[in-house]
Amino acid sequence: MRAPAFSPYAARGRRPIAAILLTFALCSTASIGLSIWQTARSQHRADVLRVAERQQTLASEYVQQVMLAHEGVRADPELTATILRLSTDALLDGGDAPAVPGNDDDARLSPTTDPTVRAQLHQERRLVDDMTETGAAYLAGRPVTSVPLSAHEHLTTTDPLTRLRVLAMLTADVALNTSRTIVAESDSNIANLIVMQAVLGVVGLLVSLTLALALIAATRRQTAHFRSIVDSSTDLVIVLGDGGCRHVSRSVTAMLGVSEDAVLGDGIVRFLHPDDRALVRSAQNSGRAEEIVFKLVNQHGEWRTLEAHVTDLRHDRGIRGVVLNARDVTERVRLQDELVRQAYHDGLTGLANRSLFRDRLEQALARSARGGGSVGVLMLDLDGFKQVNDTLGHDAGDQLLRVVAERLNETVRATDTVARFGGDEFAVLLDQTDEALAVSVARRALARLTEPAVVGGRELQVAASIGIAVRAGGGGGDELVRDADVAMYAAKDAGRGRHEVFRSEMARDPDELLGLDNELRTALARRELAVHYQPEISLSGGEVVCVEALVRWTSPTRGPVGPDVFIPVAESSGLIAELGEFVLREACGVAAGWLRDGIVGTGFVMWVNVSGKQLTMGGVPAAVDRALRSAGLPARNLGLEVTETAIVPGGAADRARVELQQLHDAGVGIAIDDFGTGFSSLAQLRHFPVDMIKVDRSFVQGVERDAKDTAITANVVALAHALGLVAVAEGIETDGQLAHMRAVGCDVGQGYLFSRPAPAADIAAFLRGARGADARAA
Amino acid sequence: MLACAGLLAFVELGTGGGSKAAPAVRVVHITEHDFHISAPRRIAPGRVRFQVTNNGPDLHELIVVRDPSGAPLPMRADGLTVDEDALDPETMGSLEPGAPGSVRGLTLRLRPGRYEIFCNMAGHYMGGMHAVVLVG
Repeated sequence: MRAPAFSPYAARGRRPIAAILLTFALCSTASIGLSIWQTARSQHRADVLRVAERQQTLASEYVQQVMLAHEGVRADPELTATILRLSTDALLDGGDAPAVPGNDDDARLSPTTDPTVRAQLHQERRLVDDMTETGAAYLAGRPVTSVPLSAHEHLTTTDPLTRLRVLAMLTADVALNTSRTIVAESDSNIANLIVMQAVLGVVGLLVSLTLALALIAATRRQTAHFRSIVDSSTDLVIVLGDGGCRHVSRSVTAMLGVSEDAVLGDGIVRFLHPDDRALVRSAQNSGRAEEIVFKLVNQHGEWRTLEAHVTDLRHDRGIRGVVLNARDVTERVRLQDELVRQAYHDGLTGLANRSLFRDRLEQALARSARGGGSVGVLMLDLDGFKQVNDTLGHDAGDQLLRVVAERLNETVRATDTVARFGGDEFAVLLDQTDEALAVSVARRALARLTEPAVVGGRELQVAASIGIAVRAGGGGGDELVRDADVAMYAAKDAGRGRHEVFRSEMARDPDELLGLDNELRTALARRELAVHYQPEISLSGGEVVCVEALVRWTSPTRGPVGPDVFIPVAESSGLIAELGEFVLREACGVAAGWLRDGIVGTGFVMWVNVSGKQLTMGGVPAAVDRALRSAGLPARNLGLEVTETAIVPGGAADRARVELQQLHDAGVGIAIDDFGTGFSSLAQLRHFPVDMIKVDRSFVQGVERDAKDTAITANVVALAHALGLVAVAEGIETDGQLAHMRAVGCDVGQGYLFSRPAPAADIAAFLRGARGADARAA
Repeated sequence: MLACAGLLAFVELGTGGGSKAAPAVRVVHITEHDFHISAPRRIAPGRVRFQVTNNGPDLHELIVVRDPSGAPLPMRADGLTVDEDALDPETMGSLEPGAPGSVRGLTLRLRPGRYEIFCNMAGHYMGGMHAVVLVG
C-alpha cells in the first residue's frame, strides 16, 4: 500500500504552473537561440555572397587580362585564375577565400551544405578550370581545341578567343546563378525563421495566457480554500486598514444580520458601541498584540460583546491591515456579571453582601485618607428576630428581612451602602459623614423600622439595635466594622431599639464569640455555670412572693459572659436542652431546700426561664418532671417563664403549647416573659394556660419620661387583671418607677431597686432578712 | 527573351493544367543539361506539349523557333548570344529560366517543318545548348 501523497493547500496547482513555466522558458530559449544562430549565419552568408558574386566579375577580368597579356600588355591572368579556383574551393568545402588585391579582404568560409548550391559550385569549378586552361593554352600558343572540356560544354567554335569568352561567360553565368540560389536559399531560411519565430511567439503567447489563467485559477482556489476555512470558523474575523473595515468573515455578518457592504469601510463604526470606538481605533492605529473587548450592535439592537486578539498584518502584502480575531463572549460576560452580582450581593434582599461591603468600605477609607472626611459604619441587629423565625416560620422571617432591607435603603443616601451580613445582621456604610450625621441616620432607621410591617399576614413591629463607628481617614475596615459591632452589642445590652456610638471603653472583641459553643459545652461539664436568683416582691405587701432563676457564666478565659451572648449560642448548638435541664435542676433543688428550711412559704414559686428553642425542641415536661422528682419539689412551687413568641399559634409553637398545657395541668405555673415586645394577642392569652404576665423592662423604665410607656404599663396591668392573671413589673430601678407601678395596680415588682440577682446563699440570707423584717413588722 | 504570340501558330502557354482542355496533345520529353539539350529528332505535327526537365545544375530557359532554312541563327553584336528580337516572328514559344530539377510544360501547335530549340542564357547557346526538331 502506497501512502497517500501529502498535498497541503498551498502546494496545489504548483505542478501545472511549473510545467507551464518550463514550456514558456523553453520557447523563449529556442526563440532567442534561433535569432542568435540566424544572425551569426547571416553575417557569414554575406561573406559567402560577396565571394560568390565576385566570381562573376573575376571571370570577365580573367578574359580581359588574358587578352591584354596576349597583346603583350603587362597583366597577371594567372593570379585571377588562382583566386577564382581558390574562391570556388572555399565556397564548396570551406576555407579561406583569398582577397582580390586592393579590393577586399580574405574571407573565412564554411563548407556549403545545400545540394543545389554545391552542384552549381562544382559546375563553376569545372568551368573555371576549363576557362583558365583554355586561357593558358591560348597564351602559350597551344591549340585551344585540344583542351578537354570537363563541364560538358559542346563548343563548336574553334576561335580560341571566342572559346575563351564563351567559357568566361558560362563561368560568370553559373557564378551569378549560384549567387542567386544562395540568396534564394537565404531568403527561404529567413522565411522559415520568421515562420518559426512566429510559431514560437504564438506558442509563447498561448503559454503565457495559460500560465496567467492557471495562476488566477490557483489563486482563486487558494483564496476560496482559506475563505471557506475562515468563513466556516466560528471565530469572527475583522480586518481594519486604511479607509476602515477591509474584510469581515461571514460569521460577523451573520451575527450582525447585515450584508457585508453595510460593514465594510466606515460602515463598521455604526455598529460599534460609542464607548468602544476609541479603543478599536487605537488598536487599529497601534496594531499592538493584545486582547480587546468591545461591543457591536446587531440588527435587533442587541449588544454583543466581542473579545478580540489584535494582530498587526499591515506589512503583510496580502492583508494590509490589523486583524481582529474575535469571539462572541456575550453569554460569558453576562454569566460573569451575574456571578459577580451573586458574589457581591445577598440573594435574599438584593443588598450588598459582606464582600462588597468590605470592598466599598476599603475604597471609602482610602478616599477619606486622600481627600479628608469621615467614614461611618452602622451595624444593625434586629431585636427578637429569632422569635419571628421560630414562631412564624422562615418564610415570614425572610419576608421581614426584605422589608428591613427596603426600609434601610430608603433611609440612606444613594452613595451609602446597605449590606446584609447574614441572619438578621445588617450594615450600613456612610461615606463622607460625621458622628452627628451617622447618629441621625441611625435614628431615622430605627424610627422607620418601628413602623408596623405586615409579614405572614400579621402586623409586626420591628425593633433593632444599632452600633455606630465613625472614623476619619485610613485604618482598616475590619476594625471599623468590629467597633460598630461592639457598639451594637452595647446598644442591645442597654435595651431594645437603641443606638450606641462606639467608645473605646466598650472594647469587647466579638471574635471571642467564635468557639463559644465549645467552651460552653466544656463549661457545662466543668460546672462553670451558676444559677443566680432575683426576688420578686409583692408591691402591696412588700414580701417576697417568688424568685426568678437566672443562669450566669463566668468563663475562666473570658470572664463573665452574659446570657444574651451564650443563650443564642446554646440554642444554635443544641446545648440549650442540657443547659435548661441544669438550671431546672439547680432551681428546683434550691427551692426545695428553702421550703425545707422554712425560708419561704408553701405558696412560694421558683420561676425558671425556658427558651423558645427549648420548647420547640420538645421534652420540657419530661425534664421538669425529672427535676421536680429529683429535688422533691411540688409542681406548684415551680413556674416556667416563656416568651410571647412561644405561644403564638402555628408551626413548632403548637407542640410547645400542648406541652405547656400538660405542665400547667400538672400544677406548674406559666408566665409570659418580656410581655409587650412579642406579638401575642389577647385571644391567645385568654385561651392559654397563663398565670402571670411580666411587663417588659423597656416599658417599665420608660414610665417616668414617656407617656406612652406609662399608658402601656397601665393597660398591660389592667389586661392581666381582666384575664385574672398576676402582673409583674420587670426592671424596677427607681422609686418613681416603683411608685408608678404600684399606682397602676401592678401586683409584683422585680429589679435592682429590690435586689440584684445573686447566688442562692445570698438570696437565702435576703429572704431570711425579709421574713425577719416581716416578722418584726408583724 | 520574352515570349510572344506567334503569327502562324496558335500558342498556348501553360503548365500541366492546360493539357486538360486539349485531348489530343502529344507529350514530348525534353531534357536540359549543362550545356546541351536532349530532344527527339522528329515528332508529328499538331498540338504538342514539351515537357521540359532541367537537370542543371545551372538555370536554363527554352526558346522554340521555326527555322526552315537550316541556316545559323542570327547573333547579337557580341557574337555570343542569339538575337532573339530578329527571331521574334519565327518564335513559337519560350520558357523563362527554370531552376535546376524543375519540370515545366510548353504546349504548342506545330506545323510540319524544321524547328530549332535552344537556351539563350549567357554563353549557353554557344556552350552547346541547342537542338533541331523536325515536325512532320
